[in-house]
Amino acid sequence: MDRARLHAEVALPGLLIGVIAGAMAGGLTLLAGNSGAWALVSALSLAVPLGLLGAGYGFLLGRSLFQPGVFAPAGLYWLVGFPLARLIQEAVTSHVVFGRVALSDELLFFLAYQAVVSLGFAIGFVWLHERLAPHWFMRIARHNPVAHELLERYIAHAENLWRARERRRAMRQGEKGAR
Amino acid sequence: METSRTPASGAGQAGTTPAQEERVWKAGRLEPMPIRPLPDAPPSVHILGPTVFLVALGVGMGESYMWPRLVLLFGPEIRWLFLIGVTLQAVVMLEMARYAMATGESIFFGAARVFKPLMWFFFAVAILVYIWPGHLSAGAAAFEKITGIPWVVTACVGLVLVGIVFSLAKVIYNLLENVLSILIGTLVVGTAIIAAMVGSWQDLSSTITGMFAFGYIPDEALSPTWFPVIVGSIAFAGPSGMQQMWYTLHLRDSGAGMGAHIPKIRGLRHAGEEEAMPSRGFMFDTDNPEEMRKWKGWRRWVTFDAFLLFWGITMLVTVSFTVLAQAASRQNSNVKELILAGDREASLNAMSDSFSSAGSSVLGAVFLGFIALIGLNATLGLFDSFSRGQADMSYHFVPGAKKFGISKLYAGFLWAVIIFGILILLFGPADGPGAILDTLAFLSTFAMGAYCVTLLLVNNRMLPKPIRPKLYTNLIIGFGAVFYLGMLFYSLFKYGVVLD
Repeated sequence: MDRARLHAEVALPGLLIGVIAGAMAGGLTLLAGNSGAWALVSALSLAVPLGLLGAGYGFLLGRSLFQPGVFAPAGLYWLVGFPLARLIQEAVTSHVVFGRVALSDELLFFLAYQAVVSLGFAIGFVWLHERLAPHWFMRIARHNPVAHELLERYIAHAENLWRARERRRAMRQGEKGAR
Repeated sequence: METSRTPASGAGQAGTTPAQEERVWKAGRLEPMPIRPLPDAPPSVHILGPTVFLVALGVGMGESYMWPRLVLLFGPEIRWLFLIGVTLQAVVMLEMARYAMATGESIFFGAARVFKPLMWFFFAVAILVYIWPGHLSAGAAAFEKITGIPWVVTACVGLVLVGIVFSLAKVIYNLLENVLSILIGTLVVGTAIIAAMVGSWQDLSSTITGMFAFGYIPDEALSPTWFPVIVGSIAFAGPSGMQQMWYTLHLRDSGAGMGAHIPKIRGLRHAGEEEAMPSRGFMFDTDNPEEMRKWKGWRRWVTFDAFLLFWGITMLVTVSFTVLAQAASRQNSNVKELILAGDREASLNAMSDSFSSAGSSVLGAVFLGFIALIGLNATLGLFDSFSRGQADMSYHFVPGAKKFGISKLYAGFLWAVIIFGILILLFGPADGPGAILDTLAFLSTFAMGAYCVTLLLVNNRMLPKPIRPKLYTNLIIGFGAVFYLGMLFYSLFKYGVVLD
């Protein structure tokens, strides 16, 4: 299997979380009383960039640029990525629906606001990724060395926790024996 | 820490027990804590911690209903009270964690070290306040609106399922953390998307400006109708009642700090594999610079949890729901009237209807789905936490309880509260008997003032000096005690109403 495909497999959980999050935009657009077509464009134009960015997160994780579960780099990643994704969505949706590119706010205010919200999104994204990705890596680790390597990092972390727990258990047993 | 080898007595002294010449930390009149090594803090600022429980418990009706209601009523400036409430809770969380991580004991045990009746007070309040299944109604009613299944049926089936799942789980903490994590993760991503699309810089700046409008209290807020509502909303900003105290049990079970030396609670089916629970916690050597370095690592870890996860998520969810409530009331003036009238279920249904009429029926269902999700989180968390807290206090302080083991006590409290809940749902008033409703509401908020006082006593008297809280932290917690108790009694004496 070529390298790109291996990384693409590893990027799948991030891609899915991004796409699902983006698809929620469609619901909200309907909620605002707009047409189904508008909602579809709105959902697609956010789901695609968020999905790609989510996949990018998984890719960088596979390249060891991010560490599993560590928040700060992921927070910075979405601080840039999330406002960009929203900018694309606003630009595409307004272009398709009104025939011209328009933002709901001045560009700088728009980006600043989205950057603030990105922090919340980043928390939710990493949170879900940490819960879902290891299960997926377990399924593909046999044929995918990138996933295998990532899974090993998770396993090493779990083993450290397990060893510490065993040490504590032994210590407690020792204490009980002494009493 | 004093390292005298002479056995010492009284609160907060280091000493040795003569039999084993083992170094111990003497705190109060209860059994001293042996000195053990403090485990290393997690190597990085890791996002998944026991805060998930506090977020699950805390993000409830306060965030999704009470505060949006107050903003509709009094404008965004009223949110300064929310800022104070949530920030205070974040500091309380850090202080709860201080004792639990330093000793591996719950705050209840700490209270018993100070003065045993104090612990029994919390034991009684927990039973009085938390056995009523009323908290199930909002989530189950939302589910009824989506599916048509009567809410009492959903609530009863839900109760039995909760009991079965927690009884079958090998290690309860792991199961609960997994389920709640997925639910909360979905909630956080969803609300971030809502906030990103519906809000604007102006909304944010008005919300932020509103949060700093310190002292803003409109005249109509100082009335017998609204003042108790405001007090109730402050008490329900973030985790309310005894939820912060239960957090210390989750910290311990997750192995944070000295909690690593305490075994985990298991489900009833695996109770036989349980390791014996020690009769007291442990202390680390606070004279050892290496141990203090590790301690600072643990404090960084929990501070990250408190301010980014707990504070951040609570703010995010509240702001998003406030924006939603404003949008719904703009579309349908009936919504605003219902929200103002204070009928929670009618308001939530009206909000859902307004979304349905604006878009499609799917949207109303999505909104109610969010409410059901919040209700489910709160229910799972509450039942587990209540049983954990009562089991912990019974195990250590009820004579003869130790022979059952903590996992069986946990299962006993869990099934007792479930069976009682089902009986009440079928035959009684879900929120508790009408005659004592005010008393229950009073006790719930009174417990919050009381745990601030307890925290001050426990952390300043039962911990070694190097890890005691700083003066400014004590001042904040002291302010918390005055704030909760002051507003509660002011409401009671000035308006004759506890809170709403």
